[in-house]
Amino acid sequence: MPVSYLDAINAALREEMRRDPNVFILGEDVGVMGGAFGVTKGLIEEFGADRVVDSPLAEGIIVSASIGAAMAGLRPVAEIQFVDFITPAMDAITQQAAKLRYRSAGTQTCPLTVRVCYGGGTGGGLYHSQTNTTWFAHEPGLVVVAPATASDAKGMLKASIRQDDPVIYFEHKKLYRLPAVKEELPEGDDHLADLFHCAIRRPGKDATIVTYGYMLQLALQAAEKVAEESGASVEVIDLRVLNPLDHDTILESISRTGRLCIVQEDHRTLGIGSEIAATVAERAFDCLDAPIVRVAAPDVPAIPAAEAMEQFYMPNVGKIVDALHRILQY
Amino acid sequence: MATKVKEPVAGAAATSNHPNPLIGNDKLKQLYSTMLKCRLLEERARILKKQARFKGNYYAAVGQEAAAVGAGVDLRPEDAVAPSHRDFILNFIKGTPLTAMFSQLYGRSTSPDKGRSAPAHGGYAPLNIITPSSTIAAQLNIGTGIAMANQMKKNDNVVVAFSGEGSTSLGFWHEALNFAGVRNLPIVYVCQNNLWAESVSVKLQTKVDDISLKAIGYGFPGITVDGNDVVAMYRVAQEAIARARTGGGPTLIEAKTYRWYGHSEIDPAKYRSAEEVEEWKAKDPIAAMERYLTGKDLFSDAWKKEISEEFQKELDAAIDVAEKAPPPEPIDCLDYLYSFDIRNRELDRKNYSPKF
Repeated sequence: MPVSYLDAINAALREEMRRDPNVFILGEDVGVMGGAFGVTKGLIEEFGADRVVDSPLAEGIIVSASIGAAMAGLRPVAEIQFVDFITPAMDAITQQAAKLRYRSAGTQTCPLTVRVCYGGGTGGGLYHSQTNTTWFAHEPGLVVVAPATASDAKGMLKASIRQDDPVIYFEHKKLYRLPAVKEELPEGDDHLADLFHCAIRRPGKDATIVTYGYMLQLALQAAEKVAEESGASVEVIDLRVLNPLDHDTILESISRTGRLCIVQEDHRTLGIGSEIAATVAERAFDCLDAPIVRVAAPDVPAIPAAEAMEQFYMPNVGKIVDALHRILQY
Repeated sequence: MATKVKEPVAGAAATSNHPNPLIGNDKLKQLYSTMLKCRLLEERARILKKQARFKGNYYAAVGQEAAAVGAGVDLRPEDAVAPSHRDFILNFIKGTPLTAMFSQLYGRSTSPDKGRSAPAHGGYAPLNIITPSSTIAAQLNIGTGIAMANQMKKNDNVVVAFSGEGSTSLGFWHEALNFAGVRNLPIVYVCQNNLWAESVSVKLQTKVDDISLKAIGYGFPGITVDGNDVVAMYRVAQEAIARARTGGGPTLIEAKTYRWYGHSEIDPAKYRSAEEVEEWKAKDPIAAMERYLTGKDLFSDAWKKEISEEFQKELDAAIDVAEKAPPPEPIDCLDYLYSFDIRNRELDRKNYSPKF
């Protein structure tokens, strides 16, 4: 039976908690309520309140306590209900989790996973819609992932929990129940997805789209539309991992297609797209047949709630198609 | 809990010469000698800093030895210490080798963190001393998580988390104590109230006279202790640690004390009056303990001289080792980011496979 993105995350948590008694969940509303979106539903019934811990409303200590627990040998999975509320935990994430291994020369480490719900397009307004992936991808020491498929949602979460590093795991709220991403998943504990490579979701030869998260769905639709309209063949790369970036797959693709369109829901300036564009300019300049183009959210502080402005803000299929035509016709 | 002391009086414990029913003579002598060694260690570190024999800065806790020694002297190796920015001596108290400590100050490749952290901000993994960041109250928060893990693993290890009075102004500090209260965690918070957070008086940090009052809001005991009376500190800390070990939950201990010198070696501390400094130097915790031990016929100048001379030799040897140790290779700057090999975010993906 096809499994939703949300159920895939739930299954990953359940399987890892069954496999390893050191795995536990800490966050707001994760226990009795089963999570604001229902991601942790049913877990407290199976594992009890000692392992599915309803925390006080305090993101700083959710992450800090998880760091300490991880140092002491446990495998915490912290949940931040909305990335918009993660700022009280920024010291914990960027100054402690990201730097602990470095500052102790590897003698002290904190293998924790922070699950973060993000993304716009649901009318949530300024503080329930943000995509602040860049804040974390900027930090050496963090592994930052953003699964775009149900299979990755499960496999990458299981791999994150087993990874001996702090992992920030971004899950897009629009993907949770999206029918288009439901898929059959391999059963059992062995479904671990790679945490180090991009995935080519659609092969092509005329241009490359690099994107991640929910934007993958829009990119695939745009590539299909361009193929119908002009016959051009567009390759779509799902970044999957936002830090450390898999430059090799991107550069190899550009060497074949010569054109690059980056699609990100995070706002434009100093976003992940900026880093990819700089890397391609530095290392594949000779391969480019057109300027690099970015489709990104505008540089405003956050995403407005009113539908008209939200639609203006969000990347969509039309904006990506326009960008592709620009570089294909250059 | 033990007596609450409003006005710290140095040597207040030295009132009689009959045996302390709760603390044996050997322990009393150990409390003294450990404080003395901490003092000698830090005064030596300050000289080395002034001589520019190591770079960076030093944050001396001279004057505050009783609080650190009283709370830390009896911890087991498995117990964790969450140090503040001024707790380098906790390393010595818990048993970190002097060679590791001075290699830390010198930023050598042989130091526990291979030359990464600020000189006085070193930890020691084998003894569960968190390698501190310099951000305030951060280790206290992480220590709270270690206490949570100890509780979940059902062992009887405790965490002692240190902070200064300045850190109690941060939201982080309160998030940690609130969480520890809610979950009844096996942790002891020691707040060393030395009256000054760099140049800012405690009067500008908090409206209350006693930091220990803040524990009331979190539902566990708080107690103010004369932080210059090592016997009082030891008694209160032992009680709090025993409670934590046996499931009794957290305690907040406020140690009223004073740092003799500036915030760091580049701070002449002109914001404090000379009278105030002299008043507190008169309450020197080491001199107070000498009077207490003298009252019990447990102290002599010869014994002090013997401890000092022997320890100075140990310091000489450790400093010699540190000075001769090689500095890190420049390119070592790129290491210890992840569990996997990566430099400048360039991972050899072709040859890398995760080791699940």
